[in-house]
Amino acid sequence: MRLSSFAPPMSLSSALEKLATFRANNTRASQETFQAASVILKSAQKLGDDGWAVLEQLFLASVDIGRLDVADQCLKQLAERFPDSPRVDVLTGIRMESSEPPDVVLQYYAQILDADSANAAIWKRRISVLRRTGKIEKAVEELSQLLDTFYTDVDGWLELADIYTSCNQYILALQALSHALLLAPQNPFYVLQFAETAYTAGDLPLALKTFLVAVDMCERDLDSPEEKPAVGISVRAWLGVKLCSRRLMSNSSPSASNTAIPKSLNLIEELATERVLSAYSKGAGKVPQGKDVVVGWIGAR
Amino acid sequence: MSSSASLYLDPQIRDWVLFPITLVMILVGILRHYVVILLQSPPKNLPREAVREQRALTRSQVLRSTCAKSPIPPTYYKSISRHLSDAFEAGTYLKDGPPREGDAPKGPPNPMSDPAAMDGMMAGMKTQMVMMVPQMVIMGWINFFFQGFVLIKLPFPLTLGFKSMLQRGIETQDMDVRWVSSLSWYFLNFFGLNGLYRLILGGDNSADSSRDMTASPFGANPAAPGGAQDFGKLFKAERDNLEFSEGLYSWVGEGVEDRVLRRYGLST
Repeated sequence: MRLSSFAPPMSLSSALEKLATFRANNTRASQETFQAASVILKSAQKLGDDGWAVLEQLFLASVDIGRLDVADQCLKQLAERFPDSPRVDVLTGIRMESSEPPDVVLQYYAQILDADSANAAIWKRRISVLRRTGKIEKAVEELSQLLDTFYTDVDGWLELADIYTSCNQYILALQALSHALLLAPQNPFYVLQFAETAYTAGDLPLALKTFLVAVDMCERDLDSPEEKPAVGISVRAWLGVKLCSRRLMSNSSPSASNTAIPKSLNLIEELATERVLSAYSKGAGKVPQGKDVVVGWIGAR
Repeated sequence: MSSSASLYLDPQIRDWVLFPITLVMILVGILRHYVVILLQSPPKNLPREAVREQRALTRSQVLRSTCAKSPIPPTYYKSISRHLSDAFEAGTYLKDGPPREGDAPKGPPNPMSDPAAMDGMMAGMKTQMVMMVPQMVIMGWINFFFQGFVLIKLPFPLTLGFKSMLQRGIETQDMDVRWVSSLSWYFLNFFGLNGLYRLILGGDNSADSSRDMTASPFGANPAAPGGAQDFGKLFKAERDNLEFSEGLYSWVGEGVEDRVLRRYGLST
């Protein structure tokens, strides 16, 4: 085996530490994971409980980068150690997905679901296969059923919103996103996604309000926000505010959700312009990328 | 002089009665721990409908938990709230589907007729048996061989109130309370070994049998699947909560433009 020939020599402990960080943060750095875990592969059994988690991680990484031979080794070891484990069933399914035709995989999943109809992990894999093979309608139906059963699955709601968005069903996507918002009200990224979906759906007042909510969430803990340029996702939120308020000023479009247009629209528009420009004027000597485009867009009425 | 000074224990009692009783009880506790692990049936897989029924309440709880500053706009909130309320009213989330016209109103489910509840009860009975049988055997053994033995003298004085606790099985009026009888030593071990088990077997061991004394096999584990919860009633009650929350509802986007403007000192 020529597993680690291209990897820089890495000590066991540092590799383990790196893999643990990846696991904790859910990082999908497959190539790096593969290199780090290959060092460990031979001594996985000696590592005790941690070793099995590393094996699973290595399996997923090697499927991801197409090293099915390594994946098979991992899967074999895991299946020997944990027969009948639902988690290994999922891994087996993933391995099948990488090489078998979708029908075979779907049949495999259907078989497991027959025995245990509430196995959420297998159910979700099945939905992902359905979506990938273009059976969108079936996937939506199954996903709705899954979410009806396991309501608290935020990722499921986001996936449903994504499917709806890809089919131009923006109102339905908004409904799915509203559930994700309810489940994770502290996450500004979901708020931003909701706002952008509302904008795409043509509900400008709602989009404007939600962009402002995102701004409010991001800048809540700043003492004097006007002094510093906007950073991170608040730049995007401010751009959204600017976009919505400008369009609302030229023609007030009706809102599907009966959201009132803010009275202080002019002030908001001015503030948004200022914030966006300040975000693009920072940096001593170095002009931020895309500045000309933004300035041009703001100048064009 | 107190009479205790004139009492001397044969060291053979220490070697052949005190230590064996303690050792046997520890070993039986450890054995019991492993037998319980062996007897544990794997958690039962619930069918989809049952999971759905159990988790339906979280839907409205999630909705209600943020209702005072809800992240979702009014129309969306109202539609979700109404939909849940209607579904709870109609019993859509019940395991067996909504009740049909003409069905007799069900009483509380009888645990004997529900196989799932029956299984949970059997599991409770099994652990109880594993606890009861060896303890009864040990107690019989002590009563048979070592009845009336005085095993140990506590190194600290105690009041007379402890006499019935420490000298069970010995009917003497004027013996010092510090002497412990064999049967009492058994009970002291029975209730006091839990700390030792925790050291040997870890936190959540099932070696300690005194804990089971209080638990009945029938009420065991209220979170057990198929517990005698009447979800129909719970859903009806949740409807009132939903209505209440709808009154409290406000959107976080309400007046957000003023909040943002005020932060930048541009308040109108």
